[in-house]
Amino acid sequence: MSSPKGTTFDNNTGETMSTIHQSKRRYPADFQQLIHILNGHIPERPTLFEFAMNDRLLGRLSGQEHEDNSQRLAPFQRLINAFAAGGYDYTTISGWRTGTLQFPKGDIAEKSSKSLNSGGMIIDRQSFDNYPWPDPEAGDYELYDDLGPLLPEGMKLIASGNGGLLENVIDLVGFETLSLMTMLDESLTTDIFNAVGSRLLRFYELVSTFDAVGACIINDDWGFKNQTMFSPEMLRRWVFPWHKKMVTALHHARKPAILHSCGQLEAVMDEVIDDMGYDAKHSFEDQITPVEEAYARWGSRIAILGGIDMDFLARSTPDEIRKRSKSMLELGMQYGGYALGSGNSIPDYIPDENYFAMIQARDLIKA
Amino acid sequence: METLLTQLTHLISIGKINAHSPYPPDMRGQPGAAEITAQALAEGFTPADILDKGLLPGMNIIGEKFSQGQAFIANMLISAQAMNAAMEHLRPFFESGEIQSRGTIILGTVQGDLHDIGKNLVKMIMKGDGWDVVDLGTDVHSHDFVEAVKTHPDACVGMSALLTTTMLNMKAVTDSLRDNDPATKIFIGGAPVSAAFAEEIGADGYFRDPYGLARSLRTN
Repeated sequence: MSSPKGTTFDNNTGETMSTIHQSKRRYPADFQQLIHILNGHIPERPTLFEFAMNDRLLGRLSGQEHEDNSQRLAPFQRLINAFAAGGYDYTTISGWRTGTLQFPKGDIAEKSSKSLNSGGMIIDRQSFDNYPWPDPEAGDYELYDDLGPLLPEGMKLIASGNGGLLENVIDLVGFETLSLMTMLDESLTTDIFNAVGSRLLRFYELVSTFDAVGACIINDDWGFKNQTMFSPEMLRRWVFPWHKKMVTALHHARKPAILHSCGQLEAVMDEVIDDMGYDAKHSFEDQITPVEEAYARWGSRIAILGGIDMDFLARSTPDEIRKRSKSMLELGMQYGGYALGSGNSIPDYIPDENYFAMIQARDLIKA
Repeated sequence: METLLTQLTHLISIGKINAHSPYPPDMRGQPGAAEITAQALAEGFTPADILDKGLLPGMNIIGEKFSQGQAFIANMLISAQAMNAAMEHLRPFFESGEIQSRGTIILGTVQGDLHDIGKNLVKMIMKGDGWDVVDLGTDVHSHDFVEAVKTHPDACVGMSALLTTTMLNMKAVTDSLRDNDPATKIFIGGAPVSAAFAEEIGADGYFRDPYGLARSLRTN
């Protein structure tokens, strides 16, 4: 079996003992189903994809209302239990949760949303030189090994970093300062992107070596509603080369690479697929490119994951959500390369019953 | 004589701040908006002509390009820097009343929302289009919008939100502003917002980009 781009993954090495009651699942966990999708093929049965879920939902799914932080692995056990109970074939392990590689940040103003302009720690050459750059080798990578035995049979981990290249650089510099810096101090801009990019690359090189890790998400928002945050030329110069290196490193380890990137990316999608070589794209918004349209345009060249719009999930009725999710899943089961999920994540303002209506669509489809 | 104003328009649109600015790279060492504005004043151009026929058309060009997806926020920011450098030379004429603004617009992100990129873009474009801007900042309560309108009774209000949750706060702001003065013009923008939502909450309009707002206010 080969993917549209010729890269084929076979991750069916199977893990270890199950620690969770799975009777709610209609299908046993099988990471190979997601691999089929990432290879652009039709899975043997409908498959779900979610990047992140709110704590209330994790509590309901796992049957453990509150996170237990008394032991190193306990919070991860709850996360794994929740993804397993939801019917997923993997658990996402985000970098913010593991803390494996973290760039020290300034005081970033945050409420429901966060300011992209606050907290900049690097504003000039001197602050760049004085910044406490983290050692990418120093993190607790053994964690990814230790989580393997906690995974139910058939499940894998999907690892992601604590923010992406552009996201971290924006946090370190501030959006407007960075915008001007790209024009007024190209040398410093280059050095900042290289300092962050090289560390993220090393993170993915190391994390992809673990058997329990079946794939990686490279999470890096590039777009606003109307266009990319920076010009495609700027992204090509400072951002995309590092993404290409990260994807190449993952493929070298025989692990698929999933791009999670929000916003209007139409101008650069060909490069995402053909140049960077991503296996899948996650994050879609109805006001930009509805997932049905994205699947029609790019679905034969890259796997499309999730896409049920967050505003739609938040404000529609369960029946409307079930109907749309079922239609999208039917398309995926007909043409391949699609897993059902939200356009971005399940934050706490999405009613639980709406989330459940979305994943119930899986049970309305015949395998 | 006209060429100085034309030159000024070009310098603003490409974001050439002054002779020391390294951007654009192919114009290193050449005079920028600051020097040419000073030269235009010295050669006898009126401050109003420098503003209306030199500087503002430059911001209009970059705003239009942004609206059409041919320019990016970084281009807008560097043009705004060039505009600010030029305006330093015109500031005394504003203070003496020789140059009048088009009006006042009050801006802010709604309560709970700290994402200010869009709001700041609107601020840049509106200032560049000759408006006085009262920037209430981020996470602004409806009470503060109303108080600002009481201080500036003829002002328009522009508010933005990034999220589905925070955009719902626009309704409360709109209701409070209408209670204070039904005639206040209210405009909204932001990622989850649409023309239909503007109509739903009783706002006067939705704009996808800041230049759309500036163009609409100029023609209405």
